[in-house]
Amino acid sequence: MTRETFITHVEREQEALRGFLLALCCGNKDDADDLAQDALVKAYLSCAGYQDKGKFRSWLFKIAYNTFLNHQKSLKPTVCIDTVPVEALPQRGSGEGAFSDLYLALSTLPPKERSAITLFYLSGYSVKEIAQITDTSEAAVKQQLSRGRDKLRERLIIDN
Amino acid sequence: MIIEIGMTKDKALEELFLAQTPHFTDSDAFMASLTKRLDAVEYLKQYQERTIRRYKMAMVVAFVVGIISGAVTIALILSTPADVPLFTFQVQTGFLLWLAQNSRLFAAAALSLLMTAGIFSIISNVQEIMHMHMYLEKHRV
Repeated sequence: MTRETFITHVEREQEALRGFLLALCCGNKDDADDLAQDALVKAYLSCAGYQDKGKFRSWLFKIAYNTFLNHQKSLKPTVCIDTVPVEALPQRGSGEGAFSDLYLALSTLPPKERSAITLFYLSGYSVKEIAQITDTSEAAVKQQLSRGRDKLRERLIIDN
Repeated sequence: MIIEIGMTKDKALEELFLAQTPHFTDSDAFMASLTKRLDAVEYLKQYQERTIRRYKMAMVVAFVVGIISGAVTIALILSTPADVPLFTFQVQTGFLLWLAQNSRLFAAAALSLLMTAGIFSIISNVQEIMHMHMYLEKHRV
């Protein structure tokens, strides 16, 4: 794949990719865009080995997902969200960078559940495709979706 | 039970996600920033490829120089009579005389040193090239 082809593909897919990472970063746009840029650079470096089978977006999402997980691992160890006092969590309506209800609820999910939920509901991927993107079994994805959805529902009901 | 639930979509959640689909107004700035990064990556890639080429060239030169100098020294040692020193000095001091008397031994030692240095150079170059290849492969995701 040439650089021009790569850029053309990226121009078409960048909004979806940024949206996906924005959800994974729970609405933190700066972090999401940094991760998107990192993922795209990685994709560019490996695009020589990419065989175009009409799955460029899935391929990009897979790289973005791995970049996100690596980024999460590189962060300082954090306290489990359930043990954090409510006042320490980002608050709704607290100014320009305020988290929406959904992003706030997403921030309570572990990264893998958050990824599965985002890929399923925001990006519209099937369980099988999510399993391919996240390199896990379909059963594991279904479990992540089920748990994530229950937690999200619970959190959204509490918030509302 | 869990598996069954996981396969169906929650309509309310789906609608919530659809309502939250972000629209970016800074796509041009994002692409410009990406192009800059790709330029930097391209520069680094070319620099690494140039370095690998240079190492390979250095390896070939070390190999050729080692072969030629080794062959010349061996030919020199073999072509002179065993009882005649390989080299002599105009000034006859004790040390230089001793050096000339043991010229074959010193020539053999110098040849060994040269070959050792050549082998070290080749091994370190090969390791460096392999390291660079591994680094490039690792960063291809």
